[in-house]
Amino acid sequence: MMKTQGKTQVARRDVLRGMAALGVAAPLGAALASCSSGGSGGTGASATQSADLDSSTNPFGLKAGTSIEAYVYQGGYGTQYVNRAVKDVQKHFKGIKAKVAPTTNIAQALQPRFVAGNPPDLVDNAGANQIPFASVLDQLEELDFMLDVKNYQGEKISDIIYPGVKEAGMYGGKFVAMNYVLTIYALWYSASLFDKEGWQPPKTWDDALDLGAKAKAKGKYLFVFGKESASYYQTLALNSAIKEGGKDLIDRLSNADPDVWSDSHLQDVFKVLEEMVKRGYFVPGGAGTQFTKAQAKWSNDELAIMYPSGSWIQNEMKDATKAGFEMTGAPEPTMTSSPKMTYAAVRSSAGEAFTIPTHAKNAAGGKEVLRAMLSRDTAEHFSKTTLAPTVVKGSVPSDAFGSSALKSVIAMIEGAGTNVFNYTFDQKYGLGSQELVAWDGFLSGQLDAKGLTKQLQDLLNKAAKSVK
Amino acid sequence: MTAGTERRRTAPAAAPARRRRWTFDRVSFMAVFLGLPLLIFVVFVIVPFVQAVYYSFTDWGGFSPDKDFIGLQNYVDLFHDDLFMHAVRNVALLGFIVPLVTIVTAIVLASFVTVGGPSSGRIRGVRGAGFYRAVSFFPFCIPAIVIGLIWAQMYDPSSGLLNGFLTQVGLHGFANFPWLGEVSTAMPATMFVIVWGFIGFYTVLFVAAIKGIPAEVFEAARLDGAGRFRTIVSITLPTIRDTVQTAYIYLGIAALDSFVYVAALFPNAGGPANSTLTITQDLFSTAFTRGQFGYATAMGVVLALITLAFAGVVAGVNRLSKGRSEGRA
Repeated sequence: MMKTQGKTQVARRDVLRGMAALGVAAPLGAALASCSSGGSGGTGASATQSADLDSSTNPFGLKAGTSIEAYVYQGGYGTQYVNRAVKDVQKHFKGIKAKVAPTTNIAQALQPRFVAGNPPDLVDNAGANQIPFASVLDQLEELDFMLDVKNYQGEKISDIIYPGVKEAGMYGGKFVAMNYVLTIYALWYSASLFDKEGWQPPKTWDDALDLGAKAKAKGKYLFVFGKESASYYQTLALNSAIKEGGKDLIDRLSNADPDVWSDSHLQDVFKVLEEMVKRGYFVPGGAGTQFTKAQAKWSNDELAIMYPSGSWIQNEMKDATKAGFEMTGAPEPTMTSSPKMTYAAVRSSAGEAFTIPTHAKNAAGGKEVLRAMLSRDTAEHFSKTTLAPTVVKGSVPSDAFGSSALKSVIAMIEGAGTNVFNYTFDQKYGLGSQELVAWDGFLSGQLDAKGLTKQLQDLLNKAAKSVK
Repeated sequence: MTAGTERRRTAPAAAPARRRRWTFDRVSFMAVFLGLPLLIFVVFVIVPFVQAVYYSFTDWGGFSPDKDFIGLQNYVDLFHDDLFMHAVRNVALLGFIVPLVTIVTAIVLASFVTVGGPSSGRIRGVRGAGFYRAVSFFPFCIPAIVIGLIWAQMYDPSSGLLNGFLTQVGLHGFANFPWLGEVSTAMPATMFVIVWGFIGFYTVLFVAAIKGIPAEVFEAARLDGAGRFRTIVSITLPTIRDTVQTAYIYLGIAALDSFVYVAALFPNAGGPANSTLTITQDLFSTAFTRGQFGYATAMGVVLALITLAFAGVVAGVNRLSKGRSEGRA
């Protein structure tokens, strides 16, 4: 879900723009004029000759002269990097034709193709309209082999990607998505403002309450939220509780434990947040404010002093960030100063989930493009042009292209070491929009911690029943 | 056409049992003007409908050819689905209030620009009627999605025009008031946006209908001493009632849908405590983010049935009330 959120934010403007075209037709069209359900599922006639994963020249047996089709989500990161990877492939293989189709609506664009059994060779399943993974799980190839392959520099891929990439791409126990962009969740603040005021990013929730009082004394607020992004505070609460009480919580959420939201570590954070709402540490009116406007109250107006978000925030707010803001991320606070995981632990998820459909005509081609992306040239090009780190280690130089946010991302991921975690339960159950409603209610004071807990638990229970 | 109709009228008298011959003209005429439209209708309307109804009896996930027939299970689940029932209540409210408010306001506006003018001289609208008519039509020229986005900005708690205006005139309680974030105001605010978008078109529609009423009728009523309100209720409304019925049904269908407006005002969510969640929104997320196409299709079928029932009720009420007033007359 958090991945969805990340993408969602990048995508939303595109989505809204697309909504005009989508218009009234979409919902009924989807249901009533639904596409043909024909097709036998295909035979998976792959162009693969003889795959030899140890080969450093052609591990997947890509045939010369074949064509590759890739569908890539057109969000904040664009699709340029895939085009570049394709060029790399074409350099290594003669006569390869390739089509990179950019789209903002992966699910709508590819639904008929999956049903008919002729999906493209590489799919970047991302954005607000991504295909629910549970729906296509049995039509996606497991990508474990990818980790053993060598890239164009001859480096084994498992050696050069950050820990947690496999976990981020696990659905139903299967590693089906190779995520490309590294996303770190953190509390973001202005280093220049904090220096000027002598503030420190909070390490515990008590620190956070103190900081809230200090901000209030300066006529500022601790936090801000927007109507589409209230659930970022769910990420904050979950990350904090997982760091405090350990990773058990992740399994309990994924298994839809009927008491999971009453977990004591989570409840502790909820109570603090409830107290903050009561004390007026949140900028009022969030439930009716468009989220980028709300975020600008932090990054541009400095009305709020901190904001919990993923590392896409810098890119998202680049046109609405005050000069000299020095956006910096810090790990989320924990309840005590001796949490089970360390304070430095971070949730590292990844974005742009690249998948290889099982029935793809030229799956070897899709894999080869992915291999090119995990090679140095494309990875470095991506970081340079988008100011976002890829899952490939070392794709960002030590000066981080002069970006304080990117620098702090690299510092956090290195500080965390192996203490990284991720969860995908709300993607698994498709809960995002409904959880958002509950969080909007909670942060605007219309719902207390008890009411929030009940709503979140009811949603999870209900979703668990409907997922087969 | 006319010639054909006349021939049919006279033909039976001359030769009642005679069958007309299948000339090329006749066959090609039927193929082009009857067969083709029928084919298009069957392929693009009937077949998808039947297919949709079929899908609603399955557990199709939407991304694979596999599906099992599960009978009425989706419908049973729908009626136990609190969120869906909540959405049904929301659209019922939309379907009741939006057409009512739009039509009442549009009729009043239409009357002012056509017959509401000075009470001496010939029957005419208020001064500058043409200007008002054009202005009231403006919102209809804006795509619905743009209307939604504009109003999302208007309602912004801190920088929106609405709160800016209210606080300027001294109502400081509205500083930072989230119109779209409070359960009590989200739905009325949404309805206002929809009504705002539709009012111009229906004003023009009613203007055309009122212009069709002979001016003598209004003059006679005026001589009898009828005021403007009485004229609207006793002359205008009964005369244009069929136009009102059509407008009511169209508006109702649009209000039962409302997808574009809520999607712009509440992206990705159902508004505070789901108070503005519509069936179409629930359907969209069920299909595309939760991957339950069979279940979503059942929602679509229920919405279609609700829409049909709505049209039936409106037409029925019109027929019943007309019967009574005619009986009285």
